[in-house]
Amino acid sequence: MTHSYDNTAGADLLDLAVPYAFHALPDDERDELEDRIATAGLAVADAFYDEVRAVRETMAVASAASAEEPPAELRGRLLSAVADDNVRFLRTPNRRRTVWMSAAAALVVGLITVGIGVSLRPPAQTPSTAEQVFAASDVHTISGAIPAGGTATVVFSRDRNAGVLVMNDVPPPGPGTVYQMWLVSDTGATSAGTMDAQAVAPSTTAVLTDLGNSKKLKFTVEPGSGSTQPTGQVIAELPLI
Amino acid sequence: MGAVVSQLLERPCDQGLDHAVTLPVNGTENERVRQVNTADLDILLRGVAQRDPEAFAALYDATRSRVYGMVARVLRDRGYSEETTQDVYLQVWRTAESYDPASGSALAWLLTLAHRRAVDRVRAEQAATQRDSRYGAATLERPADHVSDSVISGEERRRVTACLGGLTELQRECIELAYYQGMTYVQVSERLSANLATVKSRMRDGLRALRNCLGVR
Repeated sequence: MTHSYDNTAGADLLDLAVPYAFHALPDDERDELEDRIATAGLAVADAFYDEVRAVRETMAVASAASAEEPPAELRGRLLSAVADDNVRFLRTPNRRRTVWMSAAAALVVGLITVGIGVSLRPPAQTPSTAEQVFAASDVHTISGAIPAGGTATVVFSRDRNAGVLVMNDVPPPGPGTVYQMWLVSDTGATSAGTMDAQAVAPSTTAVLTDLGNSKKLKFTVEPGSGSTQPTGQVIAELPLI
Repeated sequence: MGAVVSQLLERPCDQGLDHAVTLPVNGTENERVRQVNTADLDILLRGVAQRDPEAFAALYDATRSRVYGMVARVLRDRGYSEETTQDVYLQVWRTAESYDPASGSALAWLLTLAHRRAVDRVRAEQAATQRDSRYGAATLERPADHVSDSVISGEERRRVTACLGGLTELQRECIELAYYQGMTYVQVSERLSANLATVKSRMRDGLRALRNCLGVR
Protein backbone atom coordinates (compact mmCIF):
# COMPACT_ATOMS: atom_id res chain seq x y z
CA MET A 1 0.00 0.00 0.00
CA THR A 2 2.64 2.44 -0.97
CA HIS A 3 1.26 5.26 -2.97
CA SER A 4 3.53 7.92 -4.26
CA TYR A 5 2.03 11.32 -4.43
CA ASP A 6 3.84 14.19 -5.86
CA ASN A 7 2.36 17.16 -4.14
CA THR A 8 1.24 18.12 -0.67
CA ALA A 9 -2.35 18.60 -1.77
CA GLY A 10 -2.45 14.95 -2.77
CA ALA A 11 -0.91 13.97 0.55
CA ASP A 12 -3.50 16.05 2.37
CA LEU A 13 -6.25 14.30 0.54
CA LEU A 14 -4.83 10.87 1.23
CA ASP A 15 -4.76 11.68 4.93
CA LEU A 16 -8.51 11.89 4.76
CA ALA A 17 -8.97 8.48 3.18
CA VAL A 18 -9.44 6.72 6.52
CA PRO A 19 -11.93 9.24 7.93
CA TYR A 20 -13.74 9.08 4.62
CA ALA A 21 -13.88 5.29 4.62
CA PHE A 22 -14.93 5.36 8.30
CA HIS A 23 -17.83 7.72 7.62
CA ALA A 24 -16.05 10.03 10.04
CA LEU A 25 -16.39 13.21 8.00
CA PRO A 26 -19.35 15.52 8.41
CA ASP A 27 -21.49 15.43 5.27
CA ASP A 28 -20.44 18.87 4.07
CA GLU A 29 -16.75 18.06 4.46
CA ARG A 30 -17.24 14.76 2.68
CA ASP A 31 -18.91 16.50 -0.25
CA GLU A 32 -16.16 19.09 -0.38
CA LEU A 33 -13.52 16.38 -0.28
CA GLU A 34 -15.14 14.52 -3.15
CA ASP A 35 -15.17 17.74 -5.16
CA ARG A 36 -11.49 18.33 -4.45
CA ILE A 37 -10.62 14.80 -5.48
CA ALA A 38 -12.62 15.10 -8.64
CA THR A 39 -10.53 18.09 -9.66
CA ALA A 40 -7.19 16.84 -8.35
CA GLY A 41 -6.44 14.60 -11.30
CA LEU A 42 -6.70 10.94 -12.01
CA ALA A 43 -3.58 9.87 -10.14
CA VAL A 44 -4.69 11.48 -6.91
CA ALA A 45 -8.22 10.16 -7.29
CA ASP A 46 -6.96 6.64 -7.94
CA ALA A 47 -4.64 6.76 -4.97
CA PHE A 48 -7.39 8.09 -2.73
CA TYR A 49 -10.04 5.57 -3.70
CA ASP A 50 -7.50 2.74 -3.63
CA GLU A 51 -6.77 3.64 -0.06
CA VAL A 52 -10.47 3.90 0.78
CA ARG A 53 -11.03 0.50 -0.74
CA ALA A 54 -8.14 -0.97 1.25
CA VAL A 55 -9.48 0.50 4.49
CA ARG A 56 -12.88 -1.01 3.83
CA GLU A 57 -11.42 -4.40 3.01
CA THR A 58 -9.34 -4.24 6.17
CA MET A 59 -12.29 -3.42 8.38
CA ALA A 60 -14.33 -6.12 6.68
CA VAL A 61 -11.71 -8.68 7.65
CA ALA A 62 -11.45 -7.12 11.11
CA SER A 63 -15.18 -7.62 11.63
CA ALA A 64 -14.39 -11.21 12.60
CA ALA A 65 -13.23 -9.88 15.95
CA SER A 66 -16.55 -8.24 16.83
CA ALA A 67 -18.79 -10.92 15.34
CA GLU A 68 -21.89 -11.65 17.36
CA GLU A 69 -24.95 -13.68 16.48
CA PRO A 70 -28.07 -11.61 15.93
CA PRO A 71 -31.34 -12.68 17.53
CA ALA A 72 -32.57 -15.81 15.79
CA GLU A 73 -35.98 -14.31 14.96
CA LEU A 74 -34.37 -11.78 12.63
CA ARG A 75 -33.72 -14.43 10.03
CA GLY A 76 -37.33 -15.45 9.68
CA ARG A 77 -38.51 -11.88 9.53
CA LEU A 78 -36.04 -10.99 6.82
CA LEU A 79 -36.77 -14.04 4.76
CA SER A 80 -40.50 -13.51 4.92
CA ALA A 81 -40.03 -9.84 4.09
CA VAL A 82 -38.08 -10.60 0.94
CA ALA A 83 -40.44 -13.41 0.00
CA ASP A 84 -43.37 -11.04 0.13
CA ASP A 85 -43.33 -9.78 -3.37
CA ASN A 86 -47.06 -9.41 -3.13
CA VAL A 87 -46.75 -7.02 -0.25
CA ARG A 88 -47.90 -3.54 -1.02
CA PHE A 89 -45.58 -0.75 -0.13
CA LEU A 90 -46.16 1.80 2.50
CA ARG A 91 -44.13 4.45 4.11
CA THR A 92 -43.79 4.41 7.82
CA PRO A 93 -45.15 7.80 8.77
CA ASN A 94 -43.62 8.37 12.17
CA ARG A 95 -39.99 7.51 11.72
CA ARG A 96 -37.17 9.86 11.06
CA ARG A 97 -35.75 7.85 8.27
CA THR A 98 -37.38 8.02 4.91
CA VAL A 99 -35.94 4.84 3.52
CA TRP A 100 -38.49 2.54 2.07
CA MET A 101 -39.16 -0.74 3.67
CA SER A 102 -41.46 -3.47 2.61
CA ALA A 103 -44.67 -3.32 4.51
CA ALA A 104 -44.01 -6.45 6.46
CA ALA A 105 -40.59 -5.21 7.41
CA ALA A 106 -41.94 -1.84 8.44
CA LEU A 107 -44.47 -3.60 10.54
CA VAL A 108 -41.84 -5.71 12.17
CA VAL A 109 -39.91 -2.61 13.14
CA GLY A 110 -43.13 -1.26 14.56
CA LEU A 111 -43.64 -4.41 16.52
CA ILE A 112 -40.17 -4.24 17.96
CA THR A 113 -40.66 -0.60 18.83
CA VAL A 114 -43.86 -1.13 20.74
CA GLY A 115 -42.74 -4.31 22.36
CA ILE A 116 -45.23 -6.73 20.94
CA GLY A 117 -42.77 -9.43 21.84
CA VAL A 118 -43.58 -8.86 25.48
CA SER A 119 -47.26 -8.25 25.25
CA LEU A 120 -48.56 -10.54 22.59
CA ARG A 121 -46.18 -13.36 21.98
CA PRO A 122 -47.15 -16.55 23.74
CA PRO A 123 -44.62 -17.83 26.23
CA ALA A 124 -44.01 -21.07 24.38
CA GLN A 125 -41.50 -21.19 21.58
CA THR A 126 -44.09 -21.99 18.97
CA PRO A 127 -44.30 -19.22 16.40
CA SER A 128 -46.61 -16.44 17.45
CA THR A 129 -49.62 -15.59 15.33
CA ALA A 130 -47.69 -12.57 14.08
CA GLU A 131 -44.73 -14.69 13.05
CA GLN A 132 -47.00 -17.17 11.32
CA VAL A 133 -48.67 -14.38 9.42
CA PHE A 134 -45.37 -12.91 8.32
CA ALA A 135 -44.13 -16.28 7.22
CA ALA A 136 -47.27 -17.09 5.25
CA SER A 137 -46.90 -17.37 1.51
CA ASP A 138 -50.06 -15.35 0.92
CA VAL A 139 -49.30 -12.49 3.27
CA HIS A 140 -50.86 -9.16 2.32
CA THR A 141 -50.46 -5.73 3.76
CA ILE A 142 -53.03 -2.96 3.65
CA SER A 143 -52.42 0.46 5.05
CA GLY A 144 -54.68 3.46 5.30
CA ALA A 145 -54.65 6.94 6.76
CA ILE A 146 -57.19 7.61 9.44
CA PRO A 147 -58.93 10.94 8.83
CA ALA A 148 -58.54 12.04 12.44
CA GLY A 149 -54.80 11.39 12.19
CA GLY A 150 -52.37 8.51 12.12
CA THR A 151 -52.37 5.32 10.12
CA ALA A 152 -53.66 1.81 10.45
CA THR A 153 -51.84 -1.07 8.83
CA VAL A 154 -53.00 -4.62 8.76
CA VAL A 155 -50.88 -7.55 7.64
CA PHE A 156 -52.93 -10.66 7.11
CA SER A 157 -52.92 -14.13 5.68
CA ARG A 158 -55.97 -16.04 4.54
CA ASP A 159 -54.04 -19.27 4.81
CA ARG A 160 -53.37 -18.53 8.47
CA ASN A 161 -56.81 -17.04 8.93
CA ALA A 162 -55.19 -14.28 10.97
CA GLY A 163 -53.76 -10.81 10.80
CA VAL A 164 -51.81 -8.24 12.76
CA LEU A 165 -52.94 -4.66 13.07
CA VAL A 166 -50.61 -1.78 13.83
CA MET A 167 -51.86 1.72 14.51
CA ASN A 168 -49.46 4.61 14.61
CA ASP A 169 -50.08 8.12 15.88
CA VAL A 170 -53.81 7.70 16.07
CA PRO A 171 -55.41 10.25 18.41
CA PRO A 172 -57.07 8.62 21.41
CA PRO A 173 -60.84 8.15 21.50
CA GLY A 174 -62.84 10.72 23.43
CA PRO A 175 -63.65 10.25 27.11
CA GLY A 176 -66.08 7.44 27.74
CA THR A 177 -65.55 5.87 24.33
CA VAL A 178 -63.33 3.25 22.73
CA TYR A 179 -62.29 2.40 19.24
CA GLN A 180 -63.75 -0.91 18.21
CA MET A 181 -62.54 -3.06 15.33
CA TRP A 182 -64.94 -5.12 13.27
CA LEU A 183 -64.41 -7.86 10.78
CA VAL A 184 -67.10 -7.25 8.22
CA SER A 185 -68.38 -10.01 5.95
CA ASP A 186 -71.47 -10.37 3.79
CA THR A 187 -73.36 -11.66 6.77
CA GLY A 188 -72.50 -8.88 9.19
CA ALA A 189 -69.87 -7.51 11.53
CA THR A 190 -67.99 -9.36 14.24
CA SER A 191 -66.11 -7.53 16.95
CA ALA A 192 -62.35 -7.95 16.72
CA GLY A 193 -61.57 -6.08 19.91
CA THR A 194 -61.46 -2.59 21.34
CA MET A 195 -58.82 0.00 22.13
CA ASP A 196 -59.11 2.61 24.81
CA ALA A 197 -57.13 5.83 25.09
CA GLN A 198 -54.21 4.15 26.83
CA ALA A 199 -54.02 1.42 24.26
CA VAL A 200 -53.83 3.77 21.31
CA ALA A 201 -50.94 6.13 21.87
CA PRO A 202 -48.49 6.37 20.27
CA SER A 203 -48.52 2.95 18.66
CA THR A 204 -50.57 -0.11 19.27
CA THR A 205 -50.84 -3.55 17.84
CA ALA A 206 -53.51 -6.17 17.92
CA VAL A 207 -53.72 -9.70 16.64
CA LEU A 208 -56.78 -10.53 14.58
CA THR A 209 -57.76 -14.15 14.71
CA ASP A 210 -60.39 -15.95 12.69
CA LEU A 211 -60.68 -13.64 9.72
CA GLY A 212 -63.23 -16.06 8.25
CA ASN A 213 -64.64 -14.66 5.04
CA SER A 214 -64.47 -11.05 6.20
CA LYS A 215 -63.98 -8.49 3.48
CA LYS A 216 -62.94 -5.50 5.45
CA LEU A 217 -61.73 -4.31 8.80
CA LYS A 218 -63.83 -1.45 10.11
CA PHE A 219 -63.08 0.92 12.98
CA THR A 220 -65.84 2.66 14.85
CA VAL A 221 -66.15 4.82 17.96
CA GLU A 222 -68.26 3.03 20.51
CA PRO A 223 -69.49 4.10 23.93
CA GLY A 224 -68.26 2.61 27.17
CA SER A 225 -66.26 -0.55 26.68
CA GLY A 226 -67.65 -1.37 23.27
CA SER A 227 -70.74 -2.69 21.56
CA THR A 228 -71.94 -5.99 20.18
CA GLN A 229 -72.65 -4.42 16.80
CA PRO A 230 -71.18 -1.26 15.26
CA THR A 231 -73.27 1.72 16.30
CA GLY A 232 -70.94 4.71 16.31
CA GLN A 233 -69.05 6.83 13.86
CA VAL A 234 -66.92 4.92 11.39
CA ILE A 235 -63.35 6.24 11.51
CA ALA A 236 -61.68 3.93 9.03
CA GLU A 237 -62.19 0.89 6.86
CA LEU A 238 -59.49 -1.27 5.40
CA PRO A 239 -60.35 -3.73 2.65
CA LEU A 240 -59.05 -7.20 3.40
CA ILE A 241 -58.47 -8.17 -0.18
CA MET B 1 -7.43 2.15 25.39
CA GLY B 2 -10.88 2.45 23.93
CA ALA B 3 -13.62 0.26 25.26
CA VAL B 4 -14.44 -1.60 22.10
CA VAL B 5 -10.95 -2.50 21.14
CA SER B 6 -10.31 -3.44 24.73
CA GLN B 7 -13.23 -5.80 24.51
CA LEU B 8 -11.88 -7.16 21.31
CA LEU B 9 -8.64 -7.86 23.03
CA GLU B 10 -10.06 -9.59 26.05
CA ARG B 11 -10.76 -12.94 24.57
CA PRO B 12 -7.46 -13.85 23.00
CA CYS B 13 -5.59 -12.87 26.11
CA ASP B 14 -7.64 -15.47 27.91
CA GLN B 15 -7.08 -17.96 25.21
CA GLY B 16 -3.42 -17.47 24.66
CA LEU B 17 -2.14 -14.61 22.59
CA ASP B 18 1.09 -16.37 21.76
CA HIS B 19 -0.71 -18.87 19.67
CA ALA B 20 -2.43 -16.17 17.68
CA VAL B 21 0.75 -14.24 17.16
CA THR B 22 2.50 -17.21 15.69
CA LEU B 23 -0.08 -17.59 12.97
CA PRO B 24 1.26 -16.67 9.58
CA VAL B 25 0.34 -13.18 8.52
CA ASN B 26 0.65 -13.87 4.86
CA GLY B 27 -0.08 -16.77 2.60
CA THR B 28 -2.33 -19.70 3.20
CA GLU B 29 -3.88 -18.64 6.48
CA ASN B 30 -5.06 -15.37 5.04
CA GLU B 31 -6.24 -17.05 1.92
CA ARG B 32 -8.31 -19.45 3.95
CA VAL B 33 -9.79 -16.69 6.04
CA ARG B 34 -10.92 -14.63 3.12
CA GLN B 35 -11.93 -17.59 1.05
CA VAL B 36 -15.08 -17.96 3.08
CA ASN B 37 -15.99 -14.41 2.49
CA THR B 38 -14.97 -13.30 -0.91
CA ALA B 39 -15.62 -15.57 -3.83
CA ASP B 40 -18.74 -17.18 -2.41
CA LEU B 41 -20.21 -13.92 -1.31
CA ASP B 42 -19.73 -12.42 -4.74
CA ILE B 43 -21.78 -15.24 -6.19
CA LEU B 44 -24.43 -14.98 -3.51
CA LEU B 45 -24.70 -11.25 -3.98
CA ARG B 46 -25.24 -11.73 -7.69
CA GLY B 47 -28.00 -14.15 -6.82
CA VAL B 48 -29.56 -11.61 -4.49
CA ALA B 49 -29.45 -9.06 -7.29
CA GLN B 50 -31.58 -11.52 -9.27
CA ARG B 51 -34.06 -11.64 -6.39
CA ASP B 52 -33.16 -15.17 -5.38
CA PRO B 53 -34.41 -15.69 -1.80
CA GLU B 54 -32.15 -18.69 -1.26
CA ALA B 55 -29.10 -16.68 -2.18
CA PHE B 56 -30.32 -14.01 0.19
CA ALA B 57 -30.71 -16.54 3.00
CA ALA B 58 -27.24 -17.96 2.34
CA LEU B 59 -25.71 -14.49 2.23
CA TYR B 60 -27.42 -13.63 5.48
CA ASP B 61 -26.14 -16.76 7.18
CA ALA B 62 -22.62 -16.21 5.93
CA THR B 63 -22.44 -12.61 7.09
CA ARG B 64 -25.02 -12.00 9.81
CA SER B 65 -22.66 -12.31 12.77
CA ARG B 66 -20.16 -9.92 11.24
CA VAL B 67 -22.81 -7.39 10.35
CA TYR B 68 -24.80 -7.61 13.55
CA GLY B 69 -21.66 -7.67 15.68
CA MET B 70 -20.24 -4.56 14.07
CA VAL B 71 -23.58 -2.74 14.22
CA ALA B 72 -23.98 -3.71 17.86
CA ARG B 73 -20.52 -2.38 18.67
CA VAL B 74 -21.45 0.95 17.19
CA LEU B 75 -24.97 1.20 18.57
CA ARG B 76 -24.57 -0.62 21.89
CA ASP B 77 -28.29 -1.23 22.08
CA ARG B 78 -29.88 -4.50 21.15
CA GLY B 79 -33.10 -3.08 19.81
CA TYR B 80 -31.41 -0.49 17.65
CA SER B 81 -28.90 -3.04 16.45
CA GLU B 82 -31.58 -5.49 15.45
CA GLU B 83 -33.53 -2.83 13.59
CA THR B 84 -30.45 -1.53 11.86
CA THR B 85 -29.32 -5.00 10.87
CA GLN B 86 -32.74 -5.64 9.42
CA ASP B 87 -32.57 -2.39 7.48
CA VAL B 88 -29.12 -3.31 6.22
CA TYR B 89 -30.24 -6.61 4.77
CA LEU B 90 -33.37 -5.17 3.28
CA GLN B 91 -31.20 -2.57 1.62
CA VAL B 92 -28.99 -5.38 0.37
CA TRP B 93 -32.03 -7.09 -1.08
CA ARG B 94 -33.03 -3.93 -2.87
CA THR B 95 -29.66 -2.68 -4.02
CA ALA B 96 -27.52 -5.77 -4.58
CA GLU B 97 -27.39 -5.00 -8.28
CA SER B 98 -25.47 -1.83 -7.49
CA TYR B 99 -22.55 -3.88 -6.16
CA ASP B 100 -19.57 -3.64 -8.47
CA PRO B 101 -16.95 -6.36 -7.91
CA ALA B 102 -14.32 -4.08 -9.40
CA SER B 103 -14.71 -1.68 -6.49
CA GLY B 104 -14.00 -4.25 -3.79
CA SER B 105 -15.16 -7.46 -2.18
CA ALA B 106 -18.78 -8.25 -1.47
CA LEU B 107 -17.99 -8.44 2.23
CA ALA B 108 -16.47 -4.96 2.22
CA TRP B 109 -19.44 -3.63 0.28
CA LEU B 110 -21.82 -5.13 2.82
CA LEU B 111 -19.96 -3.96 5.89
CA THR B 112 -19.50 -0.49 4.45
CA LEU B 113 -23.23 -0.28 3.90
CA ALA B 114 -23.87 -1.59 7.42
CA HIS B 115 -21.36 0.79 8.98
CA ARG B 116 -22.90 3.75 7.19
CA ARG B 117 -26.32 2.86 8.58
CA ALA B 118 -25.01 2.22 12.06
CA VAL B 119 -23.21 5.56 12.11
CA ASP B 120 -26.28 7.35 10.79
CA ARG B 121 -28.35 5.74 13.48
CA VAL B 122 -25.99 6.52 16.31
CA ARG B 123 -25.82 10.16 15.21
CA ALA B 124 -29.59 10.34 14.89
CA GLU B 125 -29.98 8.99 18.40
CA GLN B 126 -27.45 11.47 19.69
CA ALA B 127 -29.25 14.28 17.92
CA ALA B 128 -32.44 13.12 19.55
CA THR B 129 -30.67 13.81 22.86
CA GLN B 130 -31.35 10.37 24.14
CA ARG B 131 -27.68 9.78 24.56
CA ASP B 132 -27.66 10.75 28.21
CA SER B 133 -30.85 9.04 29.22
CA ARG B 134 -32.03 5.94 27.50
CA TYR B 135 -29.06 5.68 25.23
CA GLY B 136 -26.52 6.41 27.90
CA ALA B 137 -28.03 3.78 30.12
CA ALA B 138 -28.01 1.28 27.33
CA THR B 139 -24.30 1.68 26.86
CA LEU B 140 -23.69 0.38 30.34
CA GLU B 141 -25.08 -2.96 29.40
CA ARG B 142 -22.40 -5.17 28.10
CA PRO B 143 -23.40 -7.15 25.09
CA ALA B 144 -24.03 -10.79 25.80
CA ASP B 145 -21.11 -13.13 25.46
CA HIS B 146 -20.18 -13.78 21.93
CA VAL B 147 -22.04 -16.72 20.59
CA SER B 148 -19.70 -18.79 18.58
CA ASP B 149 -20.84 -19.42 15.07
CA SER B 150 -19.74 -21.77 12.41
CA VAL B 151 -18.79 -19.09 9.91
CA ILE B 152 -16.00 -17.44 11.83
CA SER B 153 -13.46 -19.64 13.49
CA GLY B 154 -11.95 -18.87 16.83
CA GLU B 155 -8.64 -18.88 15.06
CA GLU B 156 -9.71 -16.16 12.70
CA ARG B 157 -11.06 -14.09 15.53
CA ARG B 158 -7.83 -14.49 17.48
CA ARG B 159 -5.75 -13.55 14.52
CA VAL B 160 -7.65 -10.31 13.93
CA THR B 161 -7.55 -9.54 17.61
CA ALA B 162 -3.83 -10.07 17.70
CA CYS B 163 -3.43 -7.63 14.83
CA LEU B 164 -5.51 -5.05 16.65
CA GLY B 165 -3.36 -5.69 19.68
CA GLY B 166 -0.28 -4.87 17.65
CA LEU B 167 -1.36 -1.27 17.15
CA THR B 168 -0.18 1.57 19.33
CA GLU B 169 -2.63 2.77 21.91
CA LEU B 170 -3.28 6.02 20.07
CA GLN B 171 -3.85 4.20 16.80
CA ARG B 172 -6.31 1.89 18.50
CA GLU B 173 -8.13 4.72 20.17
CA CYS B 174 -8.50 6.59 16.92
CA ILE B 175 -9.98 3.52 15.25
CA GLU B 176 -12.16 2.78 18.24
CA LEU B 177 -13.66 6.25 18.44
CA ALA B 178 -14.06 6.88 14.74
CA TYR B 179 -15.09 3.47 13.49
CA TYR B 180 -16.77 1.83 16.47
CA GLN B 181 -18.23 4.88 18.15
CA GLY B 182 -19.20 6.77 15.03
CA MET B 183 -17.34 9.97 15.90
CA THR B 184 -16.11 12.36 13.26
CA TYR B 185 -12.36 12.76 13.16
CA VAL B 186 -12.78 16.24 14.61
CA GLN B 187 -14.64 14.78 17.57
CA VAL B 188 -11.91 12.21 17.92
CA SER B 189 -9.28 14.92 18.12
CA GLU B 190 -11.31 16.73 20.77
CA ARG B 191 -11.83 13.58 22.77
CA LEU B 192 -8.16 12.68 22.68
CA SER B 193 -6.93 16.28 23.02
CA ALA B 194 -4.80 15.64 19.97
CA ASN B 195 -4.52 17.90 16.98
CA LEU B 196 -6.22 17.01 13.75
CA ALA B 197 -3.05 16.22 11.86
CA THR B 198 -2.02 13.77 14.55
CA VAL B 199 -5.39 12.06 14.51
CA LYS B 200 -5.38 11.75 10.74
CA SER B 201 -1.89 10.34 10.62
CA ARG B 202 -2.55 7.90 13.49
CA MET B 203 -5.65 6.66 11.77
CA ARG B 204 -3.73 6.18 8.59
CA ASP B 205 -0.76 4.52 10.24
CA GLY B 206 -3.04 2.29 12.26
CA LEU B 207 -4.98 1.15 9.25
CA ARG B 208 -1.81 0.52 7.34
CA ALA B 209 -0.44 -1.61 10.15
CA LEU B 210 -3.69 -3.48 10.52
CA ARG B 211 -3.91 -4.07 6.82
CA ASN B 212 -0.40 -5.43 6.62
CA CYS B 213 -0.92 -7.63 9.63
CA LEU B 214 -4.12 -9.05 8.17
CA GLY B 215 -2.55 -9.49 4.77
CA VAL B 216 -5.24 -7.50 3.02
CA ARG B 217 -4.14 -6.63 -0.45
